[in-house]
Amino acid sequence: MAERQLMTGNEAMAEAAIRAGLRAYFGYPITPQNEVLEYMAAHLPQAGGAFLQAESEVAAINMCYGAAAAGVRAMTSSSSPGVSLKMEGISYLAGADLPCVILNAARGGPGLGNIAPAQGDYFQATKGGGHGDYRLIVLAPSTGQEAAELAGLAFDLSDRYRVPALILADGMLGQMMEPVTLPPPRDPGTLPPKPWALTGAKGREPNLIASFALEPTVLREINVKRYARYREIEAREVRWEEVATEDAEVLLIAYGTMGRIAKTVVRRGRERGVKVGLLRPITLWPFPYAPIRTLAERVKAILTVELSAGQMWEDVRLAVEGRTATPFYGELGGVVPTPSDILQEVLRYA
Amino acid sequence: MPKGKVVVDRERCKGCGLCVAVCPFGVLDLSKDYNSSGYAVVTAVHPEACTGCALCAQTCPDVAIEVYREKAAAGTPTRGAGRP
Ligand code: SF4
Ligand code: SF4
Repeated sequence: MAERQLMTGNEAMAEAAIRAGLRAYFGYPITPQNEVLEYMAAHLPQAGGAFLQAESEVAAINMCYGAAAAGVRAMTSSSSPGVSLKMEGISYLAGADLPCVILNAARGGPGLGNIAPAQGDYFQATKGGGHGDYRLIVLAPSTGQEAAELAGLAFDLSDRYRVPALILADGMLGQMMEPVTLPPPRDPGTLPPKPWALTGAKGREPNLIASFALEPTVLREINVKRYARYREIEAREVRWEEVATEDAEVLLIAYGTMGRIAKTVVRRGRERGVKVGLLRPITLWPFPYAPIRTLAERVKAILTVELSAGQMWEDVRLAVEGRTATPFYGELGGVVPTPSDILQEVLRYA
Repeated sequence: MPKGKVVVDRERCKGCGLCVAVCPFGVLDLSKDYNSSGYAVVTAVHPEACTGCALCAQTCPDVAIEVYREKAAAGTPTRGAGRP
């Protein structure tokens, strides 16, 4: 029942989310993610779900908390400054072990920044952003097709581990129109049950959902259990793509929109006889430390390219631990480098 | 040369510049006029050079451009890229 449609990345993620069984979406307008809101407004009610334009980003994320606690697949979306506003709610979701999908169509920053594509929200997405010892599952699509696939995966992983999942896209991916093959729709009734959900305690003990435990030893226990799930995610859910790494001498590491541009760099480099390869992280948390470490043993340099001043670069260096050179190339403020800009950099290390 | 005229739906345009790149006559460019989403809307900077070929409209992924062609005077054969 696969269907191929021409749609923007934002629309692809919205439609894939509905097909994954999303039944509660709460959002607030901000460019460049408005198409998600518009798509949800038009299509989610038809699928039997609830769409609500909240009074603010803060309200939207807290509505997600409520819907998720009731066992419904819930989602919100925004762009960088709006995601900052959601951070308190995201920490509460993490603390209450609630599944939820958050989409960030990131833009240039900090502050109000601009609406051009940027990757300056990597730290916020992968290293906290909100308060407390918590993790988000962070997925970084690089095409409209992958965006649709990862939107579905985000719900499955988030439900399975009771950890909120964040899709880190950007303005370019969100706005670009591409053909997308959509998955068949799933009936929420057929999804794995959530015995912990607040469904009305008829004939069973009441469930309690809270991110609050006054007694330190109790809170420690809750955190330790959650960290056991984080360790399981790190062991089982790391995803990445490798392109021409077998004999690569210079290895590019790039994700999302930059990962896509880096693929073109590899193709053009190879046409010129340059032994360049690419490792593209698909999960930013859990991060593909192990495959990078393996490749670090045999390449001359690992060049990280980002639309930031070097955020994922820190994780790359943690993976490499001095085994090889780890140069960086980045652009700031919503400026996107061309494949030739990056190839010039590659040639410095080839 | 046939004459054409482009009309851009400013709220649909996302300022991607694909039409700017594809126009064979340099008619279009991104402006400093931002729409309500914040995108720099494309505009005809050399409207006199437009032939009405409609490449821009066919390229625009967001269907933001309409192209109008001047009707040929009676008896003038239609030539070049202009289709009736
Ligand atoms: S119709 Fe043709 S000539 Fe006119 S602006 Fe579009 S691409 Fe350029
Ligand atoms: S191709 Fe369409 S959306 Fe892109 S700049 Fe031109 S009119 Fe605007």
